[in-house]
Amino acid sequence: MLELRIHGRGGTGVVTLADLLSKAALAAGKEAQALPFFGVERRGAVIRACFRISDTPILQRSMSYQPDIIALMHENMLPHARNEGFTEGEDGAVIIVNGKVPVEAEGTQWLVDAEQIARDHGLTFGWDAYINVPMAGAIAKVIGIPLESVESAVNVVFKGKNAASNLEAARDAYNTTTKVKGGA
Amino acid sequence: MSKRIETGNTACALAVLAAGIDYMAAYPITPQTTLSEKIANFAATGEFTGKYVLVESEHSAMSAVAAASAVGARTFTATSSQGLLHMHEILHYASGGRLPVVMANINRAVLAPWCLYADHQDSISQRDTGWLQLFCSNHQEIYDSVFLAYKVAEKVDIPVMISYDGFLLSHSLLPFETVDDSVIKQYLPDRDPAWRLHPDIGGNFSNVAMAAEYSAYRHRLADDTLKSLQIFRDSIKEYENLTGRKQPDLIEASGTENANVYLLSMGSMASEMELVATELTKQGINASALKLRLYRPFPSDELVNILPDGSTLIVLDRNIAYGHPGGVLYMEARSALYESDKKIRVLGGSVGLGGVDLTVSVLLNEVNRLLEVAKA
Repeated sequence: MLELRIHGRGGTGVVTLADLLSKAALAAGKEAQALPFFGVERRGAVIRACFRISDTPILQRSMSYQPDIIALMHENMLPHARNEGFTEGEDGAVIIVNGKVPVEAEGTQWLVDAEQIARDHGLTFGWDAYINVPMAGAIAKVIGIPLESVESAVNVVFKGKNAASNLEAARDAYNTTTKVKGGA
Repeated sequence: MSKRIETGNTACALAVLAAGIDYMAAYPITPQTTLSEKIANFAATGEFTGKYVLVESEHSAMSAVAAASAVGARTFTATSSQGLLHMHEILHYASGGRLPVVMANINRAVLAPWCLYADHQDSISQRDTGWLQLFCSNHQEIYDSVFLAYKVAEKVDIPVMISYDGFLLSHSLLPFETVDDSVIKQYLPDRDPAWRLHPDIGGNFSNVAMAAEYSAYRHRLADDTLKSLQIFRDSIKEYENLTGRKQPDLIEASGTENANVYLLSMGSMASEMELVATELTKQGINASALKLRLYRPFPSDELVNILPDGSTLIVLDRNIAYGHPGGVLYMEARSALYESDKKIRVLGGSVGLGGVDLTVSVLLNEVNRLLEVAKA
């Protein structure tokens, strides 16, 4: 079993991201569980969600406290991940981060410019960019879910004209997510 | 059959859609809201063909479904926490009136203080209302329990409450297999009530009863509640035969057979307890997890039969039986074992109140603490 914890803010689509990952995992023939933690339920508030993927049925019903991977919806979520017990370094969790440069943490990181990808495909609402679909593509790549499974999940979650731009964004993120060394 | 991955509330809504409900009334409350929203959405798209009524309170929701049930409709409602407490008066009406209403209660702590998270105090506070109560530990059980609930409710004319933990199950996504509508139709044909209110038929409902009549009604409800145990067993078997999918027993044991230590619980923690039993076994203590599916009536015979003579039973409750040490399951288990010749040490604790996260290590600590008490 592999455990992932997503750190983001209310309104950035973390719940939909968890939904997409679960459906992609199912399409890939895996067992999965998404467990969002609901706190104050306000736009902009710090939120987190756990995601587990496994070859056998998942029995855990609690949150992940020592995840194998943390996904930061924005580089400034790193302190929040640390508050939740994220340990860095070679033995710690791998980081997947939405940004242009790695975050200041040791160990392996995967970098994706999810915000730019979202804007390139018109996935915006006012000034906000919907970064969840590109993040789903990035996370799927890191945890080994095939692109076709992500595409099938996007087609289930988004209908009509929204599906096409979201599919493109997921593919772009899948193809451009790169492994980097931690920032200074 | 198809495999899906959805939230627990969506799993419940899909089952409600398949169960052929004639009438639903509900009032939103966290964490139930996304369930009633989902069914309202099905009603808006025409997929839900029953009547959907948004009422002004939970008291009205239960009154409306009880009345609709009395005219012969198959009815559904859902709530949580304070909403369930607000329904309390009408819960007695539904069971006393022998109305086979089915309700989902998404477990949430009761006030005060204000709290949104999983806790069983809401359901167990309805213990003596005469409702039958099922608990779920995963989305498959939520989905399947809806059909089982109607099957039993309409056979014994007693309402059934299906409980599952707020957020941990209602808002988490887990895989489950749906059942084809044709199979559900076979398992659950249209409701055929023994009596109903109708202007052409005449009759009345809940007239004034004198003591002897009242007493007879109450004893009959009590007897029929106990008899429903066998109806549950038979109905689970029938569902298994139709779907070809194994169902958990009223008390489902996992892990070592003939263990030394048994861990009894209900709700989402009963799933994590399987991992606790595995951990204990690794530590050299042969352990088995017991998942309680039916809380009311309590399957005493199952419990007595599973436990070997001389074993230890640890009972963990997500509630408190005020005035008694531990929670309600602890009380039930001790009561069930009293008549048995087997010598079983029973210990209990209340954990996870107000949504305190029950990880394997938290549960293991509590189990080890109780095992130390047992030794002393």
